[in-house]
Amino acid sequence: MRGSARIRVADLLTDPLLDGAVTLAGHGGLERPVTDVSRYTATGREPGAAGQGTAGPAAGGEADAAGEPEPPGVEGHLLVCDDTQVTPPHRLDALVRGAQEAGAAALLVAAGRTRPLLSGMRLADRLGIPLLWLERAEPATLLFELGVRIRAHELTRARTVLALVRQLTAKKTGRDILAAAERILAVPLSLVTSDGTPILGEPVTVPPGLRLDLPVPQSAAHLLVHPVHDQEGNRAAAWLAITLERADADRTETLGVALAVAEPFVRSWLTGQRARAGRDAVFQTGLLAEIMAARDTVSRDVVENALSLGWRLQDWHAGIHLTMENSRAREDRDSVLGQHRDGLARHGVHTVAVVDRGDGWALWTSGELEPRPEEARQLLRALRVVITGLPRSWGLVAGIGRARLGPGGLAETLTEARDAASLARSHAFRPAVEHADELGVARLLATWQRSEVTRAFAETALAPLRDREHAHLLDTLRTFLESGGSAVATAQTLGVHRNTVGARVRQIRERLGVDLDDPSQRLALQMACRALDAHS
Amino acid sequence: MRSTTGNTLGPAARGPAEVPAGAHRLAPADLPALASGATLLGSGGGGDVGVPARLLRHALAAGPVPLVAAPALPDDALVVHVGHVGAPDVLAERLVAAEDFVRAVRAVESAVGRRADAVGIIEIGGLNALIPALAATGLGLPVVDGDLMGRALPRVDQLTLAVDGHQATPFAVVDPAGDTVLVTSCAPRAVEPLVRANLAAMGGAAALALHPVTARVLRASGIPGTLTACLRLGETYLAARSAPPAEFAARIGARLLSAARIDEIQPRRGATTGSVTLHDHATGAVVRVDLLDELLAVTVDGETVAATPEIIVAVDPVEHTPVRSDQLRTGRTVLLLRLPALHQWPREAARLVGPAAYGLALAPGAGFRAAGQETPQNPGAPQNPGAPQDPGTPRSPAAPQDPWAPGERGRT
Repeated sequence: MRGSARIRVADLLTDPLLDGAVTLAGHGGLERPVTDVSRYTATGREPGAAGQGTAGPAAGGEADAAGEPEPPGVEGHLLVCDDTQVTPPHRLDALVRGAQEAGAAALLVAAGRTRPLLSGMRLADRLGIPLLWLERAEPATLLFELGVRIRAHELTRARTVLALVRQLTAKKTGRDILAAAERILAVPLSLVTSDGTPILGEPVTVPPGLRLDLPVPQSAAHLLVHPVHDQEGNRAAAWLAITLERADADRTETLGVALAVAEPFVRSWLTGQRARAGRDAVFQTGLLAEIMAARDTVSRDVVENALSLGWRLQDWHAGIHLTMENSRAREDRDSVLGQHRDGLARHGVHTVAVVDRGDGWALWTSGELEPRPEEARQLLRALRVVITGLPRSWGLVAGIGRARLGPGGLAETLTEARDAASLARSHAFRPAVEHADELGVARLLATWQRSEVTRAFAETALAPLRDREHAHLLDTLRTFLESGGSAVATAQTLGVHRNTVGARVRQIRERLGVDLDDPSQRLALQMACRALDAHS
Repeated sequence: MRSTTGNTLGPAARGPAEVPAGAHRLAPADLPALASGATLLGSGGGGDVGVPARLLRHALAAGPVPLVAAPALPDDALVVHVGHVGAPDVLAERLVAAEDFVRAVRAVESAVGRRADAVGIIEIGGLNALIPALAATGLGLPVVDGDLMGRALPRVDQLTLAVDGHQATPFAVVDPAGDTVLVTSCAPRAVEPLVRANLAAMGGAAALALHPVTARVLRASGIPGTLTACLRLGETYLAARSAPPAEFAARIGARLLSAARIDEIQPRRGATTGSVTLHDHATGAVVRVDLLDELLAVTVDGETVAATPEIIVAVDPVEHTPVRSDQLRTGRTVLLLRLPALHQWPREAARLVGPAAYGLALAPGAGFRAAGQETPQNPGAPQNPGAPQDPGTPRSPAAPQDPWAPGERGRT
């Protein structure tokens, strides 16, 4: 027991005990300290007892009201009265005055359906004594509980812990755990990451003074946080956070203890979540492997299993292959992939799944309609933006496949994505993203054309046509090859007669000594032409 | 508490009481003062005196009504008390006539078996201060200078005679159609419900004659001299009404409780009191007035400064016109005054005329005799200067203190 003056009227108003209490008047006194709580007993004399009437009408007129000053001993107390004491309502005036004269901290009326008169509220305002109105309450219970709250807050704390343990034991999900704790503590409770992003509940603004890199309970103005340890126990997997309007020291302490009690329940749920996620990953990997193998001949079981995961195999798919070169980041797989997916979602790209393929992760989007060409570009742009926004040290590399239809299409696009990722990995910069579209023939050829081997071959093979007087033959050869060996198309392109083309092709054959009917010869010469163009 | 003596009226018939020479006679010139005094003593209720005052002016034109003090009457002289009961509003629509009261008195006379010698006043506040004089003109009898309430009170059992255990029976209720109800026997607690029940059948208001008593009983249990006090209060009021508020209050012997604006009116609901919340600009005080028909109590900052049976009057702050409880309006500013009770009630009467009688949890105001006080102090009841004093009369004020007598106003 202690009569600490640390609790103020406004503190009690935030307590679950006074849930629903309205401050009708006397707001000026809300910071008054409360030392105790007692029942308002109008112990005064019988109305008009001795002393009245003898002093003549003037003095006798100063009749004391029913709520004479309290006997000494209620100074600083929160006085509680029930509805019978304010019925009829005019009695409130005398109660307010009596409470103020006795030095009470505030007057709490457990009023039932009684409504106060204006005069009572005005008087409380005038005297500056808070008038609290609580419609639904049992005064006796209220009196007892408030007494415990004010005088023996260790008991309040013990009860809170007991209630938490009883309630939380039966709760299965994180959301249920938080809701039950919120109900008991009567404060909003959130589970957040170290930057305040909510996992459950409302977001929390982390004030600069808090060190969320240190896994210890901390508090700041209006905020109380407690780390949820990960399985190794040396770092915080998440934080439990309570946002407070105000609280006295006792209540802050109780809430701190409550968070410590709730933490193992939340941790257990978080760990369970991760274990389940791991089991799911194995299943998904196996299923995807079956799809990749069977392509369009997937079995009914595979389709059903895929559907149970929300994979619509018959849709159009665009695959993404994501790899991480940094091994430390791999440990944070969930966080990295989560941020990656969330980032894509913010750009309107909703991935169906993330499946571990050993060398990286397969992600894909699905849709009923064939994506338009610009959607592929949008996907590429989104992926670049997202991946650039993530830490460079993770060494992220991604490839994107082209949109394909059906289960076989899913296998193809994922294969393309993996190939694109392989190409991206050959770049010197990180993060790197490549799209399968950009790995097309033109690009392949360009690579070859730039190579020294091709160039040397071109110089040699086409040397007979490279002097100025045979330039028209080189033009004809290039056009003829680009036109797929069609004399008519070549003639149209060059604006000559097709017999001219025929004559020139004969001359070319003679000068180069090659067989233009041989596809290999044609391919080699076409490459040589392009290589010359590229270098000229 | 006096033992109940029952009806000890003798069978002998008498003529009208002999009125001593030099006794005051109520003349038309007295009416403004009488009406004003009665309104103030109405304590915000008691009904509008305007109609009875006009009726009385006509009636008095034929000749003044003599006033007689109870001690001046022979011991066995019969006094019958008359009054108007029911909703005061009905009076505005349906005039009363002196004949109604004559008929009521006659009915009581027939039950008692002898003629009345004088007419008694039930309540000196409001219109019933004037009604007995109107009845007296019809009966050709004098009016006793005194009453049974010392102010206006809402019920017909809140009477000094009832407190002292005297029977109200036989009593008669008469409506303007001449319908007459005569009650010859009735328990004290049944008087009020019986009268109310008959009022319902009689259109809401009726003439009442009750408490036929001998002058001896009246000397012991009545409140003497209140009609004269009412006249004097009225005269003082009319002379002082143009003075500034503080001086006005001092001159009529009142205490100025507050000058306040009405902020909220919680109207009465049946027998449940209503409350008016006012704001005193000068002091910033929160003022509450509890009321039924009458203003029952004034509480300033949670402290009750006046309560029934003290007389509480609200007046206009400029004209000082009395404001009845039904004339209170939100936003209106009024002066709240406390006039001393004309009668010191015994303590046992607190449940009958004190705040408790109206369900108010307030200490009763002044107006009760202190426990063990044998001789009631009656500061509000002035001596009747015209009445011969009987030194042996217990009701005679031991320490006369007349707040409205010239030169003796200095109440603190």
